[in-house]
Amino acid sequence: MAAIQKLSVQNANAGGSYSSCRVDAGESTALVAPELFPAGLRVLVVDDDVTCLKILEHMLQKCRYHVTTCSEALKALSLLRERKGSFDVVISDVHMPDMDGFKLLELVGLEMDLPVIMMSADGRTSAVMRGIKHGACDYLIKPVRIEELKNIWQHVVRKKWNESKDVEHSGSVEDSDRQRRVGDEAEYDSLVNEGTDGSWKTPKKKRDSKDDEEDGELENEDPSASKKPRVVWSVELHQQFVNAVNQLGIDKAVPKRILELMNVPGLTRENVASHLQKFRLYLKRISGVTQHQSALSNPFCNPVEPNTKVGSLGRLDFHSLTATGQIPPQTLAVLHAELLGRPSGNVVLPVIDSPILLQASSQNSKFLPVEKEIAFGQPLFQCQSGISKPFPPSGINSQDVPSSFSSWPSNQLGVTGSNSELGDMSNTQNNNLLMQMLQHQQEPFNLVVSESHNAINVRPSCLVVPTQLPNNLNGGNCSMPVNKNSMVVAPQPSNSTFNGSSITFDYNILSSQPTNVPLSMGRVADGDFKKIGLLSSYSTPASVSSPSVSSGSVCTNGGAGWRLHNSNMNFDSLNRSPGHLPNLCIPGTEVKSGTSVNYEHARNLGFVGKGTCLPSRFAVDDIESPTNDWNNIKTSVFDDVDKVKQELNLDFLEGSKVDKTMLPNFPSNDFMGVLSK
Amino acid sequence: MLGMGAGRWEEDMSHLLALLFHQGVLDEHFMQLQQLQDESSPNFVSEVISIYFRESEKLLRNIRTLLLDRECTDYRKIGVYLNHLMGSSSSIGANLVRNVCVAFRAASEHCNWAGCLRSLAVLEHEYCYLKNKLHELFQIEQQRVLAAGVRYHPLLQ
Repeated sequence: MAAIQKLSVQNANAGGSYSSCRVDAGESTALVAPELFPAGLRVLVVDDDVTCLKILEHMLQKCRYHVTTCSEALKALSLLRERKGSFDVVISDVHMPDMDGFKLLELVGLEMDLPVIMMSADGRTSAVMRGIKHGACDYLIKPVRIEELKNIWQHVVRKKWNESKDVEHSGSVEDSDRQRRVGDEAEYDSLVNEGTDGSWKTPKKKRDSKDDEEDGELENEDPSASKKPRVVWSVELHQQFVNAVNQLGIDKAVPKRILELMNVPGLTRENVASHLQKFRLYLKRISGVTQHQSALSNPFCNPVEPNTKVGSLGRLDFHSLTATGQIPPQTLAVLHAELLGRPSGNVVLPVIDSPILLQASSQNSKFLPVEKEIAFGQPLFQCQSGISKPFPPSGINSQDVPSSFSSWPSNQLGVTGSNSELGDMSNTQNNNLLMQMLQHQQEPFNLVVSESHNAINVRPSCLVVPTQLPNNLNGGNCSMPVNKNSMVVAPQPSNSTFNGSSITFDYNILSSQPTNVPLSMGRVADGDFKKIGLLSSYSTPASVSSPSVSSGSVCTNGGAGWRLHNSNMNFDSLNRSPGHLPNLCIPGTEVKSGTSVNYEHARNLGFVGKGTCLPSRFAVDDIESPTNDWNNIKTSVFDDVDKVKQELNLDFLEGSKVDKTMLPNFPSNDFMGVLSK
Repeated sequence: MLGMGAGRWEEDMSHLLALLFHQGVLDEHFMQLQQLQDESSPNFVSEVISIYFRESEKLLRNIRTLLLDRECTDYRKIGVYLNHLMGSSSSIGANLVRNVCVAFRAASEHCNWAGCLRSLAVLEHEYCYLKNKLHELFQIEQQRVLAAGVRYHPLLQ
């Protein structure tokens, strides 16, 4: 045998190098002409099974890849770390004595952002599922066939394509990607519409510059510009990350400090940085307008952004998607999961968000038909179908804002407000909803019309809402709660500018979801009237026109829809009566709590959830009834809102706690189930 | 022997291979392995098979050791070893050994000590059979090469 091996050593591939890592592929590969792709693909194979290693090496060479083999996971890891950028794809066995293949997969995903293909003789579904959950881009079952290896280059290409999308799970990635794309497009549209106002761009720029500062570090550290940080983060890890970010505040969240707070061995600053970057992008994508709003008001934005981004972004996307009807609720959930980056962790968060959205949507749909119960079960579907309905509510919000703001002209408010509102919406659905609600109450009709145009504005209106509240009885109430709820809330009073107002909203959201909840309650009252318009605008620009149309009849519904999302519950309660409001709020919070996995969302949900999940249905009913007596409802609602707000505030703390605890408990499946329901 | 032509050896080889395939000892992955052998690695199959027997020998020894003590048997570890053996066996096309491993693994998952012992006996039997037949095959292959006037080192010793 020894003789044979010696003879074969002449071949670069020959055995003898099995136990040791061979590192010859890197440079030589670089010389391969791009047009020869996938020839020259640099593959690292890690397997403690020397037989398989030998066969795989030969097979891969037949495929004209550059192969590096390693029989020990730890050596492979050190090799990967030493020679970053020297490999395009990693093929790893699952069972290895020195390190679990999944652990290696996770580390590689975190540090190198490389596509990892797992392989094992164990082809049972549970084993394959494990690989998928850990972020493997493929799972090969031994015996591996050369036909399968000929195709692995696709994972490298896909990975690069998905870099901007932060897709980690190849298994579900494809579907989710499509969905996400759809969602992105929808968001884009909404953003564009908002952009017309002009306020959107400014905030975005600010936001970008801010991101650039922080992202710059990441990029510098990441030599492979083409490779984005890959989030192979487990749910727990992501939770830790989120906690750290929340603790630091989004503005001040620097990879180094996050890393310190997380205190996870093996996690590098680069990993955190990339994850943070993704996280921000995710938030941005989700919130879209929301972020812009925050960006506009720098001081406010900063504090708000972190929280808002996390929770609101996810929600906003979902809402918009659901509202638009472009994306199914389930898809939204998937998107959320993707956004989160981590499959498991993400899944949970997305799931949560999606349920909320679904609920909201369902509420909206229900509102139209006036079916309370149905809303919960079929919210997602309904939302999609009745996208236009949600939109109207958004428009309403914007309207409300202008009306509420004495200083702000209705028109201006509509424009700027709409922008800001959108951002708010994205930042925190609860806030937005509340704002919208309040706005609606204040100036349901007038505002609605203008708002419909400025669907985006609606979000600003949310921000405005606080100010509006002061103007209107309802508004005054709302603003009070807001302040109470969120430390930041104080800014809300600053009716001076939509942005500021919106920012305040964000703060509230960020500071404490409970606050948001109360606000949303108040908003809901207003929003019910204007809901339709606001919703439409919120969900998408296109829908803006529809919102106005629906505003008349849909208003109620739309408001409900909004409420459903965040403050839907609140809306319902407001409309119905003060007493109802608390209940409604509670349901909403519960639902949210389920979804609250995300920080903000969780908090918001938690607040709402404190009361009870059931409220959502109640809320729906409430909404319907409230629509009839808007004025009455408004006044009463406001009062209620104030009460509610206070209550919410109290609950807030509890709710937040609950959310935290609950988040881990909520499996993604559950969320999905909720959504599907 | 020396007087026989290469054709005769090839005939013997194909007969033996047909038998092994018919018995289910080998499957198409062994053919795939043969197809991987080319000018750049003329001894590829024998090298891989040598590695396989060397490694699986260790695995079987480990499994046997683990099963010695009925009380302290680490079934999880046995499962890991079996998984390893399954992976390498299936990679070289040792279909029968792989199938026995699957049954063995099921027994180990149920912590069925008696079942594990029986499975181990079957596994060792099939393993030995495979080893003998493959050894025979490579000897024929060696003869064929010699007859063809090409000098290759003995595949298996």
